[in-house]
Amino acid sequence: MSKLSTALANLEEEKVRTLVEQRVNAGSEPMSIVNELRQGMDTVGERYKSKEYFLSELIISGEIFKEAMAVVEPLLKAGKKGEPLGRIVLGTVKGDIHNIGKDIVATLLTAAGFEVYDLGVDVKTNMFIDKLVRTNAPILGMSGLLTPSFQSMKQTVDALKEAGLRDKVKVIIGGGIVTEQVGKYVGADAFTSDAAEGVEICKKFVGALN
Amino acid sequence: MNEDNLISRLARVQSAITLGTSDRTPISLVMDYKFPCRHKGITQGEHFRNQSRGFHALLEIFDELGGWDIAFTDTMTTPIRNILEAPMVIKVPGKDIPDDDVIQWEETEVLKQGDYDRIIELGWKKFIADFYPRFRGWGTAEYQRRVEQKAGLELTSIRAFNKQWEQRGIPILGGAGPFSPLMMLSCSRSMTKFMLDIHRTPDKVKAVMDAMVSDIISVTIQSVKDSGIEPPMGIPAALIVLERGGCGYFPVKVFERFELPYLKQMVEAFVAEGITPILHFDQDWTLNLPYLKELPRGKCIAQFDSTTDIFKANEILRDHICIMGDVSASLLSLGTPDEVANYCKKLIDVVGESEGFILGVGCSVPVDAKFENLKAMIDTAKTYRAH
Repeated sequence: MSKLSTALANLEEEKVRTLVEQRVNAGSEPMSIVNELRQGMDTVGERYKSKEYFLSELIISGEIFKEAMAVVEPLLKAGKKGEPLGRIVLGTVKGDIHNIGKDIVATLLTAAGFEVYDLGVDVKTNMFIDKLVRTNAPILGMSGLLTPSFQSMKQTVDALKEAGLRDKVKVIIGGGIVTEQVGKYVGADAFTSDAAEGVEICKKFVGALN
Repeated sequence: MNEDNLISRLARVQSAITLGTSDRTPISLVMDYKFPCRHKGITQGEHFRNQSRGFHALLEIFDELGGWDIAFTDTMTTPIRNILEAPMVIKVPGKDIPDDDVIQWEETEVLKQGDYDRIIELGWKKFIADFYPRFRGWGTAEYQRRVEQKAGLELTSIRAFNKQWEQRGIPILGGAGPFSPLMMLSCSRSMTKFMLDIHRTPDKVKAVMDAMVSDIISVTIQSVKDSGIEPPMGIPAALIVLERGGCGYFPVKVFERFELPYLKQMVEAFVAEGITPILHFDQDWTLNLPYLKELPRGKCIAQFDSTTDIFKANEILRDHICIMGDVSASLLSLGTPDEVANYCKKLIDVVGESEGFILGVGCSVPVDAKFENLKAMIDTAKTYRAH
């Protein structure tokens, strides 16, 4: 693993800042910097899975990653970004303004190479559908931490069916109170209460689609 | 079975707390206005415009369900709440969000990093007195006037409400609901900022918590005393709000340094004053469970919300702490009465086997729980393995 990847995996903020600056100033290919940042995040994910890291380390690494990407991303030339690993429309559903879980998932998915269309919080059903249609994203991720969110999630899945999109879109729901029972009620393809697991599920969706 | 009354219900719950035997598993539903208003067709916003509506709806629901053994009560007026709960931006139904949406708290940076030094300098109580007028955008005198006026109305309402429980022969459990210092700072700084604070300036965070805890303890004790709750009308208690210090958020080494020492201080201080600590564990605390054996035996209630493995908690904590929980919000909203009853029976069989168990919901009754599911919980508690 490179020094940059290692520094990110070890949550060494200053070191990541310095190394990114040095690499940019030295004219490194921006995509190579992005790939090393992503490798660092992959290692964070592995440490989270093995329970060496917890949610706090996921969030801190996400913040360091976002700060580094803010420096590098503007340097990526159009067309040099490469095809994303997958595309996903993401949001916290109508009636719910919790954002932390969704934000972590968005960061981890971006780090994993996904194109993420984050619609924010309190997202109405028609906004999800509109975005899915316009982007042709094959994955919909809905987050909710209140029991009323189950109805909002179900309404959105029903709207997908009405729009003739259900077969084209994989649905994953997430949140602290989401269970298998909730997944069945909503009509989702997958459910999780763990951000890192959510990313793995989305990667499997992409594998299945390809 | 003898007919229940205030004394018998109180004895049943006290027995569970002290890990003694009883005629059956006690049950208590932590229920506020949300479910009763929704069930009675009153909007959430209407409760905020006229709080007596929600309280009356709660009493009606209690009667219709056949009641439970002890009622959790909120006795805090606004001045107390400001000190014991985290300053946060609240979205009120009918004012900030649609009229029948559930009240929510926005995850945003209310306390700034610069406030840390001020808290260390002033202590928590004086910091809050200085902070809140600025936070609300009023002058200090105007803020004081509004808060006192509100507190007067709240006190009248609380006393009238608690009288209703007494008239029903239901003991009450309450007095204050302090956040732990970690929970307070995480909510007010925002979770992300607070996690970065722990990562970047751990010694500063520790110094802030050291400066906060004695005021949280003293105000809690005073609030419980002022509530007047004592046997036989109830059990003086402090519900300690705990969520963001557990393994669902942080590694155990962070819990050991930033949550456990203050939790122990709070519990020991409350117990010394005859106040029962209720440890309200939201989210996953499974890896932290062994540490609860450092708390005094037979004095606390550990309340789990269905995210912590309650059966693991029972293995580790049986014969040490009274466990309460944990019928989940999801099961109450989407499940069937049979599913709820079967889960309650499993809890009574396994966790209730060693006494020291109170059947309850995970956290609190959700707004869209099914009435028949709550009835199934209560009926199961009152009849299953009762003697």
